[in-house]
Amino acid sequence: MMESNSMQDLIYYHYSPSYKYSVGIQQIKDKYFNSHYSYLRLTYLLNRRNTQNSQRNLYLQSGLSSNGLDHYFYGSHGDWETRRLYAGFGYKKTMMNSLDYVEQYLQVGVAPYIGEYGDLHTWLMLKSKKNDLTSNWDTYPVLKFFKGNALVELGYSETSNWDIHLMYRF
Amino acid sequence: MKKLNFVFLMVMCITASAQDHAMHDMEGHSHEGHLHDTMVDGKLLVVNPERFDNFVSTLEGKQVAIISVSGMVCDFCARGIEKTFAKDKTVLKLDVDLSGGKVLIAYSQDKNINFEEIQKKILSNGQNATDIQVIKI
Repeated sequence: MMESNSMQDLIYYHYSPSYKYSVGIQQIKDKYFNSHYSYLRLTYLLNRRNTQNSQRNLYLQSGLSSNGLDHYFYGSHGDWETRRLYAGFGYKKTMMNSLDYVEQYLQVGVAPYIGEYGDLHTWLMLKSKKNDLTSNWDTYPVLKFFKGNALVELGYSETSNWDIHLMYRF
Repeated sequence: MKKLNFVFLMVMCITASAQDHAMHDMEGHSHEGHLHDTMVDGKLLVVNPERFDNFVSTLEGKQVAIISVSGMVCDFCARGIEKTFAKDKTVLKLDVDLSGGKVLIAYSQDKNINFEEIQKKILSNGQNATDIQVIKI
């Protein structure tokens, strides 16, 4: 998985021994603090509810930095989706030496058409995020496409520029 | 006037849709004799007719398990189901029907299909298999 936004560029390789959790290494180019580091990251599925037409998930996540024991993060993120609608949120608190900050987001989306298995799937989304370091909520449109094992998410905001998210499942 | 135009447009759309359906039947898609009309254990197969008939078209002499799966709302998430069953050498063919919430799995006639085993495989991908119907082709 790759992500790029105004604060950081990251590459995340992870492995899921079961659907309940995944472990991985997240390499980060921190644009705000102008530094490079890695996280050993653990994501745990705390709760999932499957119905015929929807799925709801709540995850816990944490990461320990290569910079030392006083640099780590923890948080949670969740989503609810049907084949037509999507809603998600995320909350992450990062402790970095003497500094700590919170990042949070809300995201909603609608699929303009319902694709079949193997088709190109498209989502029109709206994301709103806030980072303590930059203070204000920033709301912007996001386009999400996926086909097969590949996923691309593109968002753009005038204040924080591109928010790009690429994922491939092996 | 705008309101009238809107009503006219709506009527045209509904008429076109109904005509489309009638044409579909006139084109010879009689449901008589199709496997998707078969009763299994006293229940009619709940499948997408075209998708099902297409899936079984090359499976004469085989058996097909139709699994109802809950939580299968996303293509990207359902990929794991295909991968999990691809490792099972007894699976001849597989199809995921996202709209119907079904996974179709073809096996040879002599395979003893075990629903618990299938449930475990589906659960390992994070979804729940809730029902199974097995039909011999």
